[in-house]
Amino acid sequence: MDALSSLGGNRPRLSPRARTWLLLSPALAVIVVLFLGGVFFGIIQSLNYLPLIGQYDLNLDAYAQMLADPAFGPSLILSVWIAFAATFLSAVLAIAASLFLRQTSVGRRLGTYLFQLNLAIPHIVGAVAMLLLLSQSGLISRLTHAVGLTPDTSSFPAIVNDRWGVAIIAEYVWKEVPFIGVVVLAALAGGTRDYEDLARTLGAGWRQRFRHVILPFIAPGVLSTSIIVFAFSFAAYEVPFLLGQPYPATLSVLAYLSYTNVDLNARSEAQAINVVIALIVIVLTVVYLRLSNRYVRTER
Amino acid sequence: MNRERSRYGTVLAGLIVVLSACSSAAPPAPSTATTGAVSTSSPAATVLPSATANTWDPVLAEAKGQTVNWYMWGGDDLINKYVTGYVNDQAKPFGITVNEVTVGDTVDAVNKVLGEKSAGKNDNGSVDMIWINGENFTTMKQASALYCGWVHDLPNDQYVDWTNPTVANDFGISVDNCESPWTLAQFAMIYDSAKVPTPPTDAASLIAWIKANPGKFTYPAMPDFTGSVFARQMFYYVNGGYQDLLGNFDQTKYDAVAPKLWSLFNDIEPSLWRQGTTYPQSIEAVDQLYANGEVYMDMTYGPTETAGFVQKGTWPATTREFVFDSGMVGDVSYVAIPYNSPHKAAAKVVANILLSADAQLKAIAAGSLGYPAIDVSKLPTDQQAPFKNYAFPPEVAPLDVLVKNSNPELQAKWATTIEADWTKNVLQH
Repeated sequence: MDALSSLGGNRPRLSPRARTWLLLSPALAVIVVLFLGGVFFGIIQSLNYLPLIGQYDLNLDAYAQMLADPAFGPSLILSVWIAFAATFLSAVLAIAASLFLRQTSVGRRLGTYLFQLNLAIPHIVGAVAMLLLLSQSGLISRLTHAVGLTPDTSSFPAIVNDRWGVAIIAEYVWKEVPFIGVVVLAALAGGTRDYEDLARTLGAGWRQRFRHVILPFIAPGVLSTSIIVFAFSFAAYEVPFLLGQPYPATLSVLAYLSYTNVDLNARSEAQAINVVIALIVIVLTVVYLRLSNRYVRTER
Repeated sequence: MNRERSRYGTVLAGLIVVLSACSSAAPPAPSTATTGAVSTSSPAATVLPSATANTWDPVLAEAKGQTVNWYMWGGDDLINKYVTGYVNDQAKPFGITVNEVTVGDTVDAVNKVLGEKSAGKNDNGSVDMIWINGENFTTMKQASALYCGWVHDLPNDQYVDWTNPTVANDFGISVDNCESPWTLAQFAMIYDSAKVPTPPTDAASLIAWIKANPGKFTYPAMPDFTGSVFARQMFYYVNGGYQDLLGNFDQTKYDAVAPKLWSLFNDIEPSLWRQGTTYPQSIEAVDQLYANGEVYMDMTYGPTETAGFVQKGTWPATTREFVFDSGMVGDVSYVAIPYNSPHKAAAKVVANILLSADAQLKAIAAGSLGYPAIDVSKLPTDQQAPFKNYAFPPEVAPLDVLVKNSNPELQAKWATTIEADWTKNVLQH
């Protein structure tokens, strides 16, 4: 009743600041308790704190083990490669697709529809689809065999479970182009046309209009979605587990295998890898945000 | 994080089932007699002491109205049907509901209990029963997360031969009244008889075949469960048998034998699928390669599941199985009750149902569940016949062939050491 009447305005209102915090508190509680709580437990477990098997002393053994593991270096390189390649390709293709689709209103509607359709499909389904399409005994390999391009299925290039993570990157790009694309289309819908026409009347070519009109409009959206795509593709484990190689595997797969090791001692190493993943993502995000802020400011 | 992973695992397992299923499986056709000599025979002790009845009735009374949340690997349609259909129907008259909770890997269920234990949730846990294997059993025993001391009170425990070391030890670890047997798994090799007219008969002839047929064989990378069994089977081969490996892990013995295993695996590597530059991540991936004809052989720790693949049309009808003349690895799997289960009584009743002659017989038809974990010779004579007369479709090797010379599993430490060192010496080599 109190809450209702205070909303009705009969009593003195809460200060705007208190109101804001009150309204934010459910969301903050979830973030603080579930997210930061999880991060906290991850960090102390990475320091070998495992009460389950009677380990209470904090030390850096797990980090030493992690660095001594010959799989760590190649895994780090592979994870960075996959995340950068997937993010870059997704952003470029999303911008290109959006610019093409916005030409007509039908195209815009179709693009929005296709983009949103894809957003609902889980990564794991995409991964299995890539497996069925791109593997040496997959659909595409069978088609090239049927038309005589490849003498047998094993001469189709190995792009699933391959060294370069081609299928993994393909899955991320397939999934993330629409994600970035939806944001770009929305930014473009906010009336860039007038500015473009103005630039055109002043003699700006296509390249100049893109550089000085369109890009400043879409840059904030592209940059923020790219950070999300990068963080996700760097840390997600299920797609590289399905489409990757056992060695070198991504850091996330390495962490998963350590965490599910029957020896409980291996969990510290799993959490150490997770802490490294989190640190790298945080550092890169900060750098990225700084750079992009500067860019957006100078362009505007 | 944990729930997330198991959800993905389950979705993945479900997807693979959906994607590979074409039609539902028919029950195996009855035909000629085979002998079901599964475990070592010993004098039957079929008298049910009244003491058991006295301790069992309160359990039945307590179990009434309870729901058993049974966590188990859910990647097999036939097993899921057996649990949600047959087992649930058998539990109903006792007022018990069986709720199968599928996980992608048993370790997910173990982690759930361990998570509850570290959070101090010591009663009213969410897991009532786990279908469990040796390595996970070791983990739970290490963390004191099991409810013990109930197995020998089950009335049907009289059919279990606890003098058989394969039953009384789970991967070399003593069972200690902490888990109840469910089925016997038996390792076997799978081949397409249209492409492999004369299958190998031992490890040496398998290696010769691999070298003569480059690109047509592979095995799952460690720590995949089936891949790990294959590595142990080859470990027995390079050691010249398993007899001197039983008992505790022995570093000296291991160090003497292991290098031979790595040179064997590195020797065949160029002849494997994709010249051994990579390995499939899981047995499901090898199953796919076999289904697509990329490789001509596969392997399984549940030879009856082959019938399901063939009947669905996923694998060719010319699929057959073979085991080495010297036998292949076999292992009993169990059901265990976590220490914090709120429905222990109902879980006991379900464990008892699983040990009944009828349930053990029906389990054979349930795909990859495997073979009876009970000593068939301990059953009343009239109940022994259906086991002895059980016949499989042609793609499944007969019971007596499969379990003949069955090799016991080693203590978990052997397996984990081989898995870790395989990664260093073969995968990263």
